[in-house]
Amino acid sequence: MLGVGQKFPTYSLTATVSTDKNTAFKPLTDQDYKGKWKVYFFWPKDFTFVCPTEIAAFGKLNKEFLDRDTQLLGGSTDSEFVHMAWRTHHEALHDLPFPMLADVKRELCSSLGILDPKEGVAQRATFVVDDENVIRFVMVNDLSVGRNPNEVLRVLDALQTDELCPCNWQKGEAPLSV
Amino acid sequence: MEDLLASIPDYAKDLKLNLTAVLKQPELTEQQTWGTAVATAIASRNGDLIEFLLEEAKSHLSAEALHAAKGAAAIMGMNNIWYRFPHLSGNPKYDGMPARLRMQVIKTHGSDPVDFELWCTAVSAINACSKCVSSHEAVLREKGVTEETVIAAVRIAAVIHGLAAVMDAELASPTVPTVS
Repeated sequence: MLGVGQKFPTYSLTATVSTDKNTAFKPLTDQDYKGKWKVYFFWPKDFTFVCPTEIAAFGKLNKEFLDRDTQLLGGSTDSEFVHMAWRTHHEALHDLPFPMLADVKRELCSSLGILDPKEGVAQRATFVVDDENVIRFVMVNDLSVGRNPNEVLRVLDALQTDELCPCNWQKGEAPLSV
Repeated sequence: MEDLLASIPDYAKDLKLNLTAVLKQPELTEQQTWGTAVATAIASRNGDLIEFLLEEAKSHLSAEALHAAKGAAAIMGMNNIWYRFPHLSGNPKYDGMPARLRMQVIKTHGSDPVDFELWCTAVSAINACSKCVSSHEAVLREKGVTEETVIAAVRIAAVIHGLAAVMDAELASPTVPTVS
């Protein structure tokens, strides 16, 4: 599995962004959301029990993530049509404010190393990726354990309180380039 | 701008004439000049002066540069206090303690990074943080900015800071013009 400090893999996938079949699908790549941080979180299967709760919980915090120049991106190995059906079917997911990636060919999940060897689907993995597409945080839960999006937000806050000001230089250190 | 100049009382005439002069220094580009004016006006805290200069700045700065200049005033308003404290205290244990404060705008302001440094330096001069002044000045020098350019921005900071105090005073107790 890819870890902290490694580049997030390149990908080109279809994402489901709404429940309206005319506007529901959108191509997304690792080059979208330039200059933003990204939180990628994957779940094993659409239409299962733990997932909608935590996905809706991420949705509720979307504005907090946007305030931190961060784009949320959910995903699983289900197709974009299954994502749309799930969003349509489940009340808590109707107005979900972020895209769901459809990694049908399992390429992204494979390059991330999060395909469950037994089940063949995405593990419940979370990646915080910085504005230069470098992975800064990884968490993988057991398939049966839901996530706490507030914890992801706390980690993001900690990562984004880098002391970027040249005032932070200690004597003898090489200057930061800002 | 005419209204602003007309409202400056006679006892501060030097500052009035200096303001017109420092906003036309050949060492600074238009963006450097007006970004410095915006950032240092905000750092100097007089509402009327901020209103005048920000309105005027709109015709000299792109939306991005205006946003970044305001961002420089905002972030240095925080950082100048934070980074000044260790050396004010004289206790070396404070050196290097983590800030745990967001300062992403330094990276994400979206304007010219050298100009942003210049605005940070000018604000730091007003807020009197020697650590910030010396470190931002060092970055500017490293990026090839001349001392003449840096000091031109400090001239703007000095005049605007002086004027802000005058305008505060005039708000509290307006000078009655004497007929000569």
